[in-house]
Amino acid sequence: MLQSKTKKILIGIFLAAVMIGSCNKKESAVAPNISNEALTTVVLALKNTNAPYDSDTATWQQLLGANGVPLPIDTSKAVLNLHANCLYTAQVLIYDKTQNPPTDVSAEILQRENYHLFFFQPTPVSPSNFFVSDTTTSIPGTTINPTGPYLNLTVKRTDLDTNNPPMQVGLSDNFITGTASSGHLRLVLRHQPNAKNGTYFPGSSDLDVTYRVSIY
Amino acid sequence: MRIMAFLSLYILSFYGICQECHFIIHGKVLDSSGTNPLPYAIIQIKELNKGVAADSVGHYVIKNVCAGTYTLECDLIGYTKHIEQIIVSGNQHHNFNLKEDTVSLKAIIISSKEIDEKPLQSLSVSSISNEDLLRTRGTTLGEALKTIPGLNSLQTGPSVSKPMIHGLHSNRILILNNGVRQEAQQWGSEHAPEIDPFIANRISVIKGAASIRYGSDAIAGVILVEPKVLPAKPGIYGELNLVGMSNSRLGASSAMLEGACDKKLKGLSWRIQGTARRAGNSKTAHYYMENTAFEEMNFSSALSYNKRRLSIDLYGSQFYTRLGIFTGSQVGNLADLQLALQSSVPITPSYFSYKIERPYQQVTHDLIKAKTIYRIRSNSTIELMYAWQQNKRYEYDYVPLNGSLNPALFLQISTSIIDATWHHQVSNRISGSVGINGITQGNIREYQFLIPNFRNNGAGAFLIEKYKKDKLTIEGGLRYDYRWLRAWMVDNNTAQIITPTRTFSNATGTFGIVYSLKKNLTFSVNAGTAWRAPTVNELYSNGVHQSAASYDIGNPNLKSERAYNFITALNYSGKRLFGEIGFYNNQINNYIYSKPDLQLIYTVRGAFPEFTYTQVNARFRGLDIKASYVIRDSITFTTKASLLWAYNQTIHNYLIFAPSNRYENSIRYAVGNLGKLHGIYFILTNIYVTHQWRVPPNSDYTNPPPAYTLFNADLGFNVRMGKEQVNINFSVTNILNTGYRDYLNRYRYFTNDVGRNFTIRLQIPFTLVSKK
Repeated sequence: MLQSKTKKILIGIFLAAVMIGSCNKKESAVAPNISNEALTTVVLALKNTNAPYDSDTATWQQLLGANGVPLPIDTSKAVLNLHANCLYTAQVLIYDKTQNPPTDVSAEILQRENYHLFFFQPTPVSPSNFFVSDTTTSIPGTTINPTGPYLNLTVKRTDLDTNNPPMQVGLSDNFITGTASSGHLRLVLRHQPNAKNGTYFPGSSDLDVTYRVSIY
Repeated sequence: MRIMAFLSLYILSFYGICQECHFIIHGKVLDSSGTNPLPYAIIQIKELNKGVAADSVGHYVIKNVCAGTYTLECDLIGYTKHIEQIIVSGNQHHNFNLKEDTVSLKAIIISSKEIDEKPLQSLSVSSISNEDLLRTRGTTLGEALKTIPGLNSLQTGPSVSKPMIHGLHSNRILILNNGVRQEAQQWGSEHAPEIDPFIANRISVIKGAASIRYGSDAIAGVILVEPKVLPAKPGIYGELNLVGMSNSRLGASSAMLEGACDKKLKGLSWRIQGTARRAGNSKTAHYYMENTAFEEMNFSSALSYNKRRLSIDLYGSQFYTRLGIFTGSQVGNLADLQLALQSSVPITPSYFSYKIERPYQQVTHDLIKAKTIYRIRSNSTIELMYAWQQNKRYEYDYVPLNGSLNPALFLQISTSIIDATWHHQVSNRISGSVGINGITQGNIREYQFLIPNFRNNGAGAFLIEKYKKDKLTIEGGLRYDYRWLRAWMVDNNTAQIITPTRTFSNATGTFGIVYSLKKNLTFSVNAGTAWRAPTVNELYSNGVHQSAASYDIGNPNLKSERAYNFITALNYSGKRLFGEIGFYNNQINNYIYSKPDLQLIYTVRGAFPEFTYTQVNARFRGLDIKASYVIRDSITFTTKASLLWAYNQTIHNYLIFAPSNRYENSIRYAVGNLGKLHGIYFILTNIYVTHQWRVPPNSDYTNPPPAYTLFNADLGFNVRMGKEQVNINFSVTNILNTGYRDYLNRYRYFTNDVGRNFTIRLQIPFTLVSKK
């Protein structure tokens, strides 16, 4: 009884508050979701140097929902089909498809190439193909499989930045295939402002995606 | 009436004590001839809001006073109020001679402020003021409060520190900034309270479910940031505070000018105050923390008019800060975090700089308050308050790719509050207050989605009554609140605007007893129940929390939290021994926390562990201990302990992120006077924080850091300059330059805590115009 009366009074005060509050209708106008840096699409575009008509692209994509929350990853096209014992030239292309037209993020990375470094890790990898140094693309922490079978793929960066001395970037690469095999390729972009030294460790990851690879 | 005043002051005097304050001021109240004692005068220390009544032969004793300068006020009906400044550096004998006042015969009114801000006497109140407050100048609010048993600070690096009471923080604590509940984005663990600690001449903490007076939510406690009372004596006065620190090369200056008018404008007082604070990168024992610089600029002004039964207060303040987020904590994903955890130092070395780069936060907080008090009778007062505040928060994230100049997130929350309270006295023994509170707030966001736009409306009504007889005080209170919360956001899949609306209503209740077992031994007990509605981030957040490398998912079906709080304390103040021991048991049903789901969410930036807001039953149980022993008149030993057991009853294991036990021992040596240096003191403090082993398995990325020990030292004195007394303090924290990590610091995964730091503090009062 008392409670219901109290409740009435409170609702009265509350309505008064609503009236004061309703002068400001700003919150019902929802501002669009703008992300400073949304990466949605990562493409590997490969060309066989021995047979120019032999090319392959693999696309990893995760679009954002209306609220900016990531939708499920689309890996249906994140597959590389390569010929055995060939040399491919590769380009890494990155897009932000939340923008219209889509932004070419790889061009922005090229502008800031002195801060960025790509790593490519084929798996399963044998101990003899796993080197962590200033010029290799191996990713520290990768599980090394002692027995195989291995994915017979080697990736070498072919572009250099304008640091002094110049260091590799990895937007352009060579993919060298061995005998027929299959596995995965993990691609990581490290962001290393004022700290790039060729190794994986400084900075943080901007990008970390995985493709399926089959060599036949 | 006088007895009531006496009793109130008597009880109040118990609850203001909580630091090394063992000096005694005593003496006699005499008439103008200096021969006849005057009985029952009220003697008050203005700065402490503390007072006593003289006995039947005019003798008075004020116990537990810290060293410092105080304004003593002696008031007796039929005599002119006598105001005098005294310096306390040891036990002080002081007599008053009162002149007869033939004109006015006024009643003694305990200022409503006192009634208002200590609504419950059975809850433990601890304060920092004077010397102890001076020793914290230049640091954050959270850091300053760590000296009180039961309090910790939840830190995000050296510049962001949030107070924690009995293991609870953020929305479970209410912070009253000059009487107004601080409303900002306080749910965020890296969102520090936007309050300038320099406005306060006293910071108090009410531990326990004190929400009855101030609205729901405060199920852990209330922090009061209390400015000095505006001057009544005509003239213009001021104070300058200067702080310099070696570690982050911090410089802080705070200036205040205040005055009271006379003649036609009598009753009008004013104050303006401003603070600037700037610091560069902080240094741990062996390396700098990149991008931990910050800057802060604050301004406040107050105007007050008192005439007969009416007093009107206007207050406005502005807070601005820009603070860097430690770059080493910016991990791209879980793999990065694991790399950082494997490295004992931040992977990228740093150097000293004042420069603030992305990622950083920029926050402004504006507050306007109008309050009026009308005294219907000497024992019946009506108080009305309206306050408006707006908090704008820009968060600038890391933009490795395109160098965007936009913030990642902008949040603006505007809040209006109305409060109406009637303080009354039913009889000599029964007094209380009745009131209503209303709140409306609107939040808008821009750029990224973290929390939605929302409107939150609330109303509440309360009744608190007190019964006092001799040594016994019994108090009880009831409160009812209603809340309405509507969010506006875009559905992630359908792209339509959705407006989920929730309402919450609930009752709060409290009952307490204070009993003086002996002249110097008081026992208090309080049992209360309080509740908290889920906040917008707990309901609707969805996305990557970059600096925590976690993916947080809200739960729109959360229910309100319900707390059952029991707190009891024993307070002893003898000749040489002073102490308080408090026990608490806070049972929180439907306690909301972000629980690791033990699964990963994959995004273009890699894998993130997923956390979902969930509800469990939790119990927080602990002991707060503080004791001081006067070994010799000049040497005091003080020990403090904060012990807490936080238990998750749903999973039958400990609750994550609870503070570990903390012990603080200090020895204070009052050197006395040396030439022109007065009141010299030296304090050596040892702090020991244990390793937190009470954690549930599989809930954190790494084990809690080991225990650590720190030593701090303080040297302080005052110097007379003309009529004024300048206070000077030198301090060294982390004397041994220990490398340590604290479990409550969110950067413990990446870096050590701050190393050795030398600080100098100056407090310079001055008088520009002095009128009779």
